[in-house]
Amino acid sequence: MHEMAIARSIVDIAVAAATKGNASRIVRVNVLAGQLRGIIPAQLIFCFGLMAENTIASGAHLNLEITPLIGRCRKCEEDFPVEDYSYFCPRCQGQDIDIVSGTELRVRDIEAE
Amino acid sequence: MKINVMTDVLEANDRIAAGNREVFDRHKNLVLNLMSSPGAGKTTLLERTAEALQGKLRLGIIAGDIETTRDKERLEKHDLPVVQLNTGSACHLDANMISSALPHIDLASVDVLVIENVGNLVCPAEFKVGEDFKIMILSVTEGDEKPLKYPLMFRESSLLLVNKIDLLKYTNFGLKEAKANARKINPGIEIIDISCITGEGIAEWTAWLSGCYQKKFGTNSRA
Repeated sequence: MHEMAIARSIVDIAVAAATKGNASRIVRVNVLAGQLRGIIPAQLIFCFGLMAENTIASGAHLNLEITPLIGRCRKCEEDFPVEDYSYFCPRCQGQDIDIVSGTELRVRDIEAE
Repeated sequence: MKINVMTDVLEANDRIAAGNREVFDRHKNLVLNLMSSPGAGKTTLLERTAEALQGKLRLGIIAGDIETTRDKERLEKHDLPVVQLNTGSACHLDANMISSALPHIDLASVDVLVIENVGNLVCPAEFKVGEDFKIMILSVTEGDEKPLKYPLMFRESSLLLVNKIDLLKYTNFGLKEAKANARKINPGIEIIDISCITGEGIAEWTAWLSGCYQKKFGTNSRA
């Protein structure tokens, strides 16, 4: 149930940002969630709804944008989608791969009034 | 109105983890976050490790469990500083729980601190606690496809201990397949086969630990 801990952090971050921006109600929270995070959207949205109760985020819509897993080969610098969690460069077969996208878990922005 | 945020969801946790890390570095602790499924052999590994490290490096343990102090009781028999954290319903340890445990352990008397996470292959991988390395145990009774099913944990781990290899002949676990699966997720992962019952691989594992300590502090031990 780490979705609950993540949901609580999302609510905290959104409420802090809205308060700083002098908003009194949060309508929508846009979150980038990397594919490797294995977030289950329905579960996170459910937890978010619970954690948002009695805050200015109560009733807000949580929008999750799942970002694909992208690797970059350190040898030939090719960027490629990592399919089936297989970290091999399709161009040079290199195995030394950095992840450039797909691990993020970030509140991108909020819509508030 | 739209308000740009761009804040990492786990930023608060990661900040506390960085604070823990500073405390560990100051006390010259090598810190490992040990993760596995329930029953893979975390506590037994720590018992064997305590025996093998005797007179070399001093081991300390923070053990997380949903309920009971059984792990603490087992480990204390080996004369180790042990703090047990009962997480209640939480499925993982986070940086704040570790921070709250620090006053209860004498870090100055510890060289290698192992944080024994809650048995779970999913949630613990998400939360930094201030460790130098994440390491994990996969036991042969669990199945060789586990790296493919739980990629984040295998991706995040520096070392994989394949435990209970004395039971290999009684299972359909493919040792080669398991390693290939783990390396597919994480080509740089180090892998050691161990049995906490026969002692196979334990020397290699403690050599890995000593090597990490040496690399971090430039010395074999504090003594």
